[in-house]
Amino acid sequence: MKNGFSVFIAAFIALGLSWCGFVLGSAKQLGTAKQAAVLNSSDTYPIQPTGDATLGLQVYRANGCAACHTEQVRQDNVVCDVVLTGAGKRNPAAVTNLISTLKLTGLTKDEADAASDQITAAGGSVETHIVPVGVDIARGWGLRQSVAADFLYNDPVQLGSLRAGPDLANVGARLPDINWQLVHLYAPQALVKNSAMPPFRFLFEVRKLGDAPSPDALQFPQGFAPPAGCEVVPTPEAKQLVAYLLSLKADAPLYEAPFTPVTTKP
Amino acid sequence: MNDEIKSSCSTGTGGEPETTRSTVPMGIVVLTFALLFLGGVYFDHHSGWFNAKVYSPYVSAEQLELYQPKSGAAAALAQGKKVYETVCGICHGPDGMGKPGQAPPLAGSEWVNAAGFHRLAQIPLDGLNGDFQVEGKDWNLNMAPMGAALSDSDLAAVLTYIRSSWGNKAGPVTADDVKAIRAAVGGHPAVSAAQLSSIPE
Repeated sequence: MKNGFSVFIAAFIALGLSWCGFVLGSAKQLGTAKQAAVLNSSDTYPIQPTGDATLGLQVYRANGCAACHTEQVRQDNVVCDVVLTGAGKRNPAAVTNLISTLKLTGLTKDEADAASDQITAAGGSVETHIVPVGVDIARGWGLRQSVAADFLYNDPVQLGSLRAGPDLANVGARLPDINWQLVHLYAPQALVKNSAMPPFRFLFEVRKLGDAPSPDALQFPQGFAPPAGCEVVPTPEAKQLVAYLLSLKADAPLYEAPFTPVTTKP
Repeated sequence: MNDEIKSSCSTGTGGEPETTRSTVPMGIVVLTFALLFLGGVYFDHHSGWFNAKVYSPYVSAEQLELYQPKSGAAAALAQGKKVYETVCGICHGPDGMGKPGQAPPLAGSEWVNAAGFHRLAQIPLDGLNGDFQVEGKDWNLNMAPMGAALSDSDLAAVLTYIRSSWGNKAGPVTADDVKAIRAAVGGHPAVSAAQLSSIPE
């Protein structure tokens, strides 16, 4: 072949450069990643998953869950909300008046700083909340965008690319009920009407009721219970899969994805 | 073999069509480079300089830093830094090193690093006049009561900031401390070094 050596060198350089960019560069940046600090807290994130959850990831893979579910929340923007924490003693009426004239939500950081300076000068005290916004966040799929730290213990990472079902990046925080998760795997339509998800009955065992019902037996909503004298118990795989799903909790504010956690009063 | 080809080429039959040296129109060249430039600008703007911590919609580490929720001590320091840079830093310098003929350094100054803050807090509240020694150097300047117009929390924040920045390691000052000192000595005429030394730290 004419110029065979040059072609080889050119191909080698082209592939070598992309390897450096895609593999070496990312490995250098994130290959040594460790648990990250949670903002304004002494906690670290993510939590080391339990053995069941680690095995559950393999069940998730084996059943092709990633074909229909993603684990990545998108964020389009970030805004600041200025929240009044106290009107102060000096002139509360003036602070209340000032508040009513100012725009306090959906601000940029500069606007939020200006507004909080104005309110502080009038005697009130304020907090600036960092609020991520985006279509996924609006649907309640997550509190912030997914970042590399979320996938620290996922081997391999199950990003997914198709959303026939909802995103699961934060499913452990959204739907923390174990029985709900198990029933949903056994009969999705029992809990979510018109769900397109196929049932995963082979992860469960339907058996005759013994002397006493198994403590693991699924609690079904009305109309979906198995025939009298039978019970549905999850296999170890089903329990592992649910342990994995419940371990998916992207709810910690991180340096690279800051937000102000909203504490709901009980 | 090669020689044979070469010679046949060079003698040639003359029937082969040859391309003449064609040039790319200058407009296309300009357009290509303009597009490359725009692409580069877009890439730089959205890649966060390949910082592993910077994700869209943040475009740089500096911007990400701005959006960190602040609370407690960190918030007080951030507030102090802001006040320092708008009020004090003009003369004392953004790095606290002072400016010859304008203001003595705060970094390493024994007045700033004193165990107590009563002498220090009086300087911005009342101003300072006359001979003054900082780190063995003589200064003779007048400082206006720059802190008199600041709120208690702003002055406390800025005092805390100068006492814990640039290698200084003195304790924090609270808004209540400043309030008490202001009530005691606020509005007095500018103090001298001798007067300051006479009050407890």
